[in-house]
Amino acid sequence: MSDLVLRNIGKTYANGYQAIPSIDLTIEEGEFIVLVGPSGCGKSTLLRMVAGLESISQGDLLIKGDQVNHKEPAERDIAMVFQNYALYPHMSVYDNMAYGLKNRGEPKSEIETKVNAVAQMLGLEELLTRKPRQLSGGQHQRVAMGRAMVRDPKVFLFDEPLSNLDAKLRVQMRVEIRELQRKLGTTTLYVTHDQVEAMTLADRLVVLNKGHAEQVGTPMALYERPASTFVAQFIGSPSMNLIPSSIENGVLQLGVDSQLACPQFSTDKVMWGIRPEHVDIVPLQDADLSLQVKAVEALGAETLIHGSVKISEDKQYPFVVRLSGNHAPDIGQPIGLRVPQQAWHVFDAETTKRIEPL
Amino acid sequence: MIENRPWLTGFSHLVLILGVLVVALPVWVAIVASTDPANAFGVGHIPLWFGDQAFANWHQVLIGKEGQASQVLRMTLNSLIMALGITFGKIAISLFSAYAIVFFRFPFRGLEFWVIFFTLMLPVEVRIVPTYEVVANLNLLNSYTGLTLPLIASATATFLFRQCFMSIPGELVEAARIDGAGPIRFFFDILLPMSRTNIAALFVILFIYGWNQYLWPLIVTTDDAYYTLVMSVKRMLSVPDGDIEWNKVMVSTLLAMIPPVLVVIGMQKLFVKGLVDAEK
Repeated sequence: MSDLVLRNIGKTYANGYQAIPSIDLTIEEGEFIVLVGPSGCGKSTLLRMVAGLESISQGDLLIKGDQVNHKEPAERDIAMVFQNYALYPHMSVYDNMAYGLKNRGEPKSEIETKVNAVAQMLGLEELLTRKPRQLSGGQHQRVAMGRAMVRDPKVFLFDEPLSNLDAKLRVQMRVEIRELQRKLGTTTLYVTHDQVEAMTLADRLVVLNKGHAEQVGTPMALYERPASTFVAQFIGSPSMNLIPSSIENGVLQLGVDSQLACPQFSTDKVMWGIRPEHVDIVPLQDADLSLQVKAVEALGAETLIHGSVKISEDKQYPFVVRLSGNHAPDIGQPIGLRVPQQAWHVFDAETTKRIEPL
Repeated sequence: MIENRPWLTGFSHLVLILGVLVVALPVWVAIVASTDPANAFGVGHIPLWFGDQAFANWHQVLIGKEGQASQVLRMTLNSLIMALGITFGKIAISLFSAYAIVFFRFPFRGLEFWVIFFTLMLPVEVRIVPTYEVVANLNLLNSYTGLTLPLIASATATFLFRQCFMSIPGELVEAARIDGAGPIRFFFDILLPMSRTNIAALFVILFIYGWNQYLWPLIVTTDDAYYTLVMSVKRMLSVPDGDIEWNKVMVSTLLAMIPPVLVVIGMQKLFVKGLVDAEK
């Protein structure tokens, strides 16, 4: 049975602004769903609608088959972890975790057992008597998660929970969240703007753009077959190279001096794309495309070469190549690139949607 | 600012010491006069050193002379009831009104806040005649309710709590909602403990305000069972004939000063914390 169903969910504000036109989403039990998108895309609004903190203008929200549109947050059996954690500053860690259970009227002994069990799972036993201000950033994060876990909810909601942590801790907590979720098997909805977080955590990703779900799928599906230029550029780092070009008589007109044989598509005005990691360097005379090198970022394990591709006499497009190992091309010089056809992504230039060869 | 100029340090200290002397002199005079004989104050010079009547004066004021019991304890009690009534009343009503204004959406919310704010311009002194009439019509003259109730509404405290509540992050409110805390639970479990230091700071200010009330008690009480300490000082000065007993006046004055001083000293730490602390 599906755990969480969003059926034609939409949000229109009182001033007429339509934050989310309509979204359909069915989430299976135990799934980890990540909502990802740039700021202002409506991902937090959607999460808050599921939580019950924001009213739902249209559609149905079902948790375990029950329609919960008009239920109070506490009655929906969800738990939420906030971006700034929102711990009660005057309560000890124990009381912070116990507060929700207390309000539900659970007996003291049961609360104690539950809190202690969760504290042990998160390594918080030593901190139970402390106040939030005596905790570090990572510990705050853990307590906030503990507070959510203690309630044993049907759905976990995370609102950018890692964005207040430093880079190292973020990676560590990311792994921890994923592990915990697998162990607990609780359905999870997680909001982030960070695509690395999204890729590593998600069973399925929902890429949101201006309140629309651009694409829903596993991280790999989105990486390999992005449905639009928006998804193509959002997933993957550095993002996909996109060059506007045209197809004429089975020939892709890429740069000024680059014509590549190409299958037939339904349209001839296309956006041609390739991921930086799928490009190889070859001698200039064998090249599909030549790149004017502008900057080189050597990261040790890999090298990023930033440059530009000339598509007409006065027009250039930025292009990035990602190579493993160490390379040192001369800056300002052209280098030859090979762009294998199986790595191409072709989008309709007008609709920005992915198109396949006829 | 870090400066190391000895004469500047010395000068600053001198100014501060002079300031302290100026402020402390009247208090000193009151203390000294409360130990002098009755006539020492009225003969043209002010005594600056202790007399030998300390015990007699204080005894007379606190216990009373033969055949006439002292009113001081009764008046102190009245003052305390009035001051505490005003303080707790003001704090309670301001907490509730600020809670309503900050956390609830209702029509004319902004207008209501500004109306409350507007009453800052209408202290008791300005509205004393109509307020008196209302209190008189309600038969509240010569009662503790009459003493405290008209002074309880407070724009200042409402404003202070409003600022304090507005600084509470929205996510905290939402977290409480998800934890199943309704409006009343949220108020008592989250809001009240979080405003603890602000309440303490306000308590100090309002207690002194209530304790020092003079005009209102003077008008609303005619029965000496309800006289307060502060107004009694004035009454001791308006004796129909004969000499004013300055020594006893000073004893009463000192007595009237003690409770506010105790409150300030006792709550100093919380007071400062409440005004500067950013615990949230």
